[in-house]
Amino acid sequence: MNGRAFRALVRKDLVLEVRGREVVPAMAVFVLAAFVLFRFGLGGETLAGGTRAAVGVLWIATVFTAMLGLLRGFAAEREDRLWDGLLASPVDRASIWAARTVSLLVFQIAVQVLALPVFWVLFLQQGRTPSYGVLVLALLLADLGMAALGALVAGLASTARAREVLAPVLFLPFAIPLVIVAVSLTTGTIPPQTAGSHTVTRLGFLGLYDTVFALLGWALFEYVVEE
Amino acid sequence: METANGARIDRATAAALAATVLMATALGLIFFYVPNDASEGYSQRIFYLHVPIAMTTYVLFVWGALNAARYLWTGDESLDLRSYVPMHLGTVFGTLTLITGSLWAQISWGTWWDWSSTELNSFLIIFLFYCAYFMLRFSVEPGERRARYSAVYALLGVGLIPVSVLAVHLGQDIIHPITFTRHGANMDNSMLLTFLVSLAAMLVLAYSMYEVELRGKRLDDRIARLRRLAREPAG
Repeated sequence: MNGRAFRALVRKDLVLEVRGREVVPAMAVFVLAAFVLFRFGLGGETLAGGTRAAVGVLWIATVFTAMLGLLRGFAAEREDRLWDGLLASPVDRASIWAARTVSLLVFQIAVQVLALPVFWVLFLQQGRTPSYGVLVLALLLADLGMAALGALVAGLASTARAREVLAPVLFLPFAIPLVIVAVSLTTGTIPPQTAGSHTVTRLGFLGLYDTVFALLGWALFEYVVEE
Repeated sequence: METANGARIDRATAAALAATVLMATALGLIFFYVPNDASEGYSQRIFYLHVPIAMTTYVLFVWGALNAARYLWTGDESLDLRSYVPMHLGTVFGTLTLITGSLWAQISWGTWWDWSSTELNSFLIIFLFYCAYFMLRFSVEPGERRARYSAVYALLGVGLIPVSVLAVHLGQDIIHPITFTRHGANMDNSMLLTFLVSLAAMLVLAYSMYEVELRGKRLDDRIARLRRLAREPAG
């Protein structure tokens, strides 16, 4: 992998986002709207005091928000013919995938910095709460897995008909195991339960998930952009 | 293989004949030979259909993924269809697995879907993945790019299968009956024989369907190519 090209590509994505503000604000508004929708959809009692349902709301909103980021995917590159320039330049395909993974990861973390305090205010301030340390670590690990996979899926959907519909369809089956384990992990730290081997095993799973899909993304992206 | 009057029997016909014989034998064993299960009674016989169908589905998916990997490795166009056809059949067998699993859940536990059944739920995730495979395949124009994208997504499924099974185990309690343990099959000889014949019948049926569908798809391709040639101006 070409380190210089990778850094330049990440910088390009971040500079474009800072100047254009296309992805992160939309993701932030989306996640807040999702919290409010879940609150009214499920009812206050179901979500009161750090219950499993409240934790589930956070994780589902996280997955849907990540999906919104990957929807943008490689659309900008395709629209402005940046893609041809990118493929003609001496940049290996793995660097393009890794750079997109990192920029998606940064976008997701930026949104969560805004969303987590709001989630606390809306759902957690009264009653039992999960371990915040475990929650943050789990979010970071899940973000990495979703970004690695999202970069590959965005590449697959980018030239398809109806790519905006296709990208979530391709992504969501992969999000299901992540949500199952993340909810089990976070719920397992709500008192009277304490973080222990239950937590370690599930954090290990998230690490394994990241490794599997990062390796597959790195190995397969070359075939997605072979034009 | 040749018949008495010298006509050749191709692989698809031979497989279809073998599947007919094996399927008839399996159904005979299931309904007239194997004894009732001690705890679930007569209705447990659905096991001899459900589990072989599920195992055949996994075999088809792995077969499709292997051919996808070979396609990416060699670029041999014929491997695209050899990857697509098992995936297609896997989805058909997968639908049957979900239907028979749901029936079994209703008979055993009194509910059409049991969210704490690890096998059913991990299978559901994998089934959704393969439905997405078809969405991708039919959203890209036919040709080299479609073959490549389908192969990439099929290989992602190889990562999803163990991850889903592990996730469902980590996330839920296990109440599904365990028939195979580390010490071997937990059933008597007549049950094991019925199960193995039924498994062989499903596998051979899947193979014969594979040969027939592959032949049909190749014929479609050839006709499409001939049509293109016919439209081109002469000289």
